[in-house]
Amino acid sequence: MKNFTILVFTISGMIFANSARSQTAARSGKGMNPDMSVNFMGVFQQGSALSNDRLEGDHNGFNFNEAELQFTSDVDPYLRATALFAVAAEAGEFAFEAEEVYMETLSLPSVTLKLGKFKSSFGKQNILHPHAYSFFEVPLINAALLGDEGLNEMGVSAALLLPFSWFSELTLQSQTLSNESLFNSAKSNQLGWLARLNNLWDLNDSTTVAFGISGLSGKNQFNRQSSAWGADLTLKWRPEVGGKYRSIAWTTEYIGSFRDNWIDAETSQSFEKLGGLSSGFNFQLDQRWSTGLRLERLGIPNIAPVNAINKISAIIGFFPSEFSGFRLQYAYSKNESASKADHYAGLQYNISIGAHPAHVY
Amino acid sequence: MNMKKIFALILLLGNLAHAKLMVVATTTDLSSIAKEVGGNLIEVESIAKGTQDPHFIEAKPSFMLRSAHADLLISVGLDLEIGWLPNIIRGARNPKINPGNDGFLEIGESLQTLEKPTGDLSRAQGDVHPQGNPHVTLDPIRAGQIAMIIAERLAKLNPENAALFQKNGQIFSDRLKSKTELWKKRIIATGISKVVTYHKTLTYFLDRFAIQNAAILEPKPGIPPTSGHILDVTQIMKKQNIKLVLIENYFDPSIVKKIQSIDPGVRSEIVPVSVDGEKAIGNLDELYETLVQAVEGKK
Repeated sequence: MKNFTILVFTISGMIFANSARSQTAARSGKGMNPDMSVNFMGVFQQGSALSNDRLEGDHNGFNFNEAELQFTSDVDPYLRATALFAVAAEAGEFAFEAEEVYMETLSLPSVTLKLGKFKSSFGKQNILHPHAYSFFEVPLINAALLGDEGLNEMGVSAALLLPFSWFSELTLQSQTLSNESLFNSAKSNQLGWLARLNNLWDLNDSTTVAFGISGLSGKNQFNRQSSAWGADLTLKWRPEVGGKYRSIAWTTEYIGSFRDNWIDAETSQSFEKLGGLSSGFNFQLDQRWSTGLRLERLGIPNIAPVNAINKISAIIGFFPSEFSGFRLQYAYSKNESASKADHYAGLQYNISIGAHPAHVY
Repeated sequence: MNMKKIFALILLLGNLAHAKLMVVATTTDLSSIAKEVGGNLIEVESIAKGTQDPHFIEAKPSFMLRSAHADLLISVGLDLEIGWLPNIIRGARNPKINPGNDGFLEIGESLQTLEKPTGDLSRAQGDVHPQGNPHVTLDPIRAGQIAMIIAERLAKLNPENAALFQKNGQIFSDRLKSKTELWKKRIIATGISKVVTYHKTLTYFLDRFAIQNAAILEPKPGIPPTSGHILDVTQIMKKQNIKLVLIENYFDPSIVKKIQSIDPGVRSEIVPVSVDGEKAIGNLDELYETLVQAVEGKK
């Protein structure tokens, strides 16, 4: 306890001793208001596996996916806050929820501490918001294991820049275990643990390769341990000359899991292992056009009651500016136990208004 | 480990000062000016390459790593780097370079800017900059002013060498002032008083040498040229007898052919707009010289 108290005092001393001032200088006309933005997306779609019932979350015809309202601002010289609310259609009605609301430290050397409700740093896909997805939806394994909204819990995070000659970041998080498909732990005081190591190397001035590994663990609803692990590899290329018009991003991610004693609610069968692989390639054709292809397999290892599903998605996008995008996606998926394959086609719009976004690499 | 040891360790880490000041600049123009001012007393590198559009740099984690060790981060500001620099600063986890601290220097706010929009702003106007055009380093006189701003900040970080930084800044500023007089004479000799450019990148250069930028090939800032707009621009050129188009070299060069197919009498020059924008351009003197030669038709 004594050591813990010293640690807390030391960290708080470091946070509050630094004289760093506001990250965002108050600009004329804006005063002290936070940066505000609204991002919304919708789709017109037709899929052989989709329902014609408009009360279903995802149905044929016009769908309003969601609108995200984001507020960010420095709190004081030491902290920065982000509040991101989502309005999404659920069973024919609109639900308003706090997607991410957290604070981060600004003035600590080498580390960023984060406290609040936020997307867990598990793998490459989970931390993204829907408007930043390379394809319309998350890979099959992310949806099956972490749910449509991903792993998003309350907790604390420390992201440490390791003292290596390349970029290497170690993220440690402690979080609640509310996620229904992975944990849904019985008691609110049970906490899960997550670790992620992300490395990036510049192969040359145009090309980077990033490799990350993640692992997390916590008690599940059967009071046993659920664990998940993942590895991701990303290659990015944007030439030094003509980089406005050409670029490539290729991400491959594997996620595996073991949910001890897990019983599937629908089939009442044991359903402990679940894993899957996805590999997506995006190619920028011009200043405003891009295309992509993603291959996926859910069910590595392939354990009943889920049969393996293979899926191919192809996408083409037109982006009139940084703030608007229109994309057309076709997807083919086949459950290995089904006789027929599923086909899907959709046209999506993606709009952003308000404060200029800072793009994540 | 007791409390004293922890604090001793923190103090020790804080005092492991580099022999040279580590400077990171957002663009090659700024790193070049910083080199002139800091000489051997600083190590400086640029995030953007000279061939890249500084509006659209990716916030690569490797830039965060470089910035993590910086004593000073120099940026233009004026929203030039707004899409990427905030992420680099946060990712660097280096309180020295946080805005408001001595290790953060935004030179734009100390300069007189051009094309500052008045009235209500809207994104329907394209990628407009509320505080004015951010391509300030293309004016040799403002480059001299930037050198003095950087000298002042380096002096604050390394007071022992304040006089040297001031002297270096002054030498650079004076050198560009006297060269500007010669460049002015050469531009006047060409008789060219109006040009067309792709984007409003060259505003400060053209303003300094009294050349009017009569039309822009982008219909609105950040929006690529359409065939209809290119046709409109060539008609403006015919009416006003404009014979020179300057294409900043990070834009699509195929537009040169499109213009020539409409009006073969027009001379189009693809020009670098940053230090290292072409292999032979190692500093700002060489950049301005190349731009003057492009106007003269000698590039």
